[in-house]
Amino acid sequence: MELARGLVAIGAGLAVLTGMMTGLGQGYAAAKAVEAVGRNPEAESKIRSMLILGAAIAETAAIYGMLIAFVLIFLFN
Amino acid sequence: MIVGATITFQVEVLSILIISAIILGLILAVNRAVKKADPLDQPKGILLLAVIYVRMMSGLAKDNMGNIVGRNYAPYLGILALYLALANLSGLFGMPAPTANFSVTLTLALITFIMIQRMSIKSIGFFGYIRSFFEPHPLFFLMNFFGKVAPLISMSIRLFGNITSGTIIMVLFYAFTGWVAALVPIIGVIDFVGPIVAPVLHFYFDVFVGLIQMYIFISLTSVFIGNEYSQPE
Repeated sequence: MELARGLVAIGAGLAVLTGMMTGLGQGYAAAKAVEAVGRNPEAESKIRSMLILGAAIAETAAIYGMLIAFVLIFLFN
Repeated sequence: MIVGATITFQVEVLSILIISAIILGLILAVNRAVKKADPLDQPKGILLLAVIYVRMMSGLAKDNMGNIVGRNYAPYLGILALYLALANLSGLFGMPAPTANFSVTLTLALITFIMIQRMSIKSIGFFGYIRSFFEPHPLFFLMNFFGKVAPLISMSIRLFGNITSGTIIMVLFYAFTGWVAALVPIIGVIDFVGPIVAPVLHFYFDVFVGLIQMYIFISLTSVFIGNEYSQPE
């Protein structure tokens, strides 16, 4: 029983690792957005809404990872 | 009524009521200021803030959804932004943040979801909407279905997860500082380490994350609704 609980905790921790690549991707997107604003500052509001949308979609993977971690912790513990 | 269901009182209900009362008071105050104001005069005080806020929100709505649709949805975005900002910041005042409860964020995301579907049906027609599930081939039904439902899940869990993780981290942090403080013999009964280190973390987890999530929620709402509108053919 103790072993099963520990495995559930390890699984939840692994599920949250999806945030790693999401962080990389979002950082890259933000860097590109900064470059774009530097190149033509008058398109700032358009670039901002695109950045938010892209970052939000990229974040979805991390959110699903967190959802799986929550399900693991609260349902199988 | 479902047999065996129990009604549990959730503390977030209280903070929702308090936040609603604050928003109602604000709106009444602005309403009185508007009625008393001279239209030829420069707006001052609370009226100036209200004018700036309304202009900001309608600007955001018009940027993302176009002039005609943006005007219709700007009031909803405005009140949503106010509510979310107050709800996310309420952790600072010792109230449990309503957005740390999944029911609240699911309800808010459901409103957005229904608005997206309504806008979609309005722009491509009911049969076009049904047909959009089976494009480009009937086999894609499952993918299209999950594509339509995904915003509901991801928006609700994004808000819930960000606020909840902040709350959990703050609880863990206070437990840790309490443990550290208890190592000091006499004054250790009170947690004197927490108040020294906590403000920075409170600033990040409550103020920064809360306001960023508020902005993301309203701009995602407007962008999703605007996307449905901008492809009528």
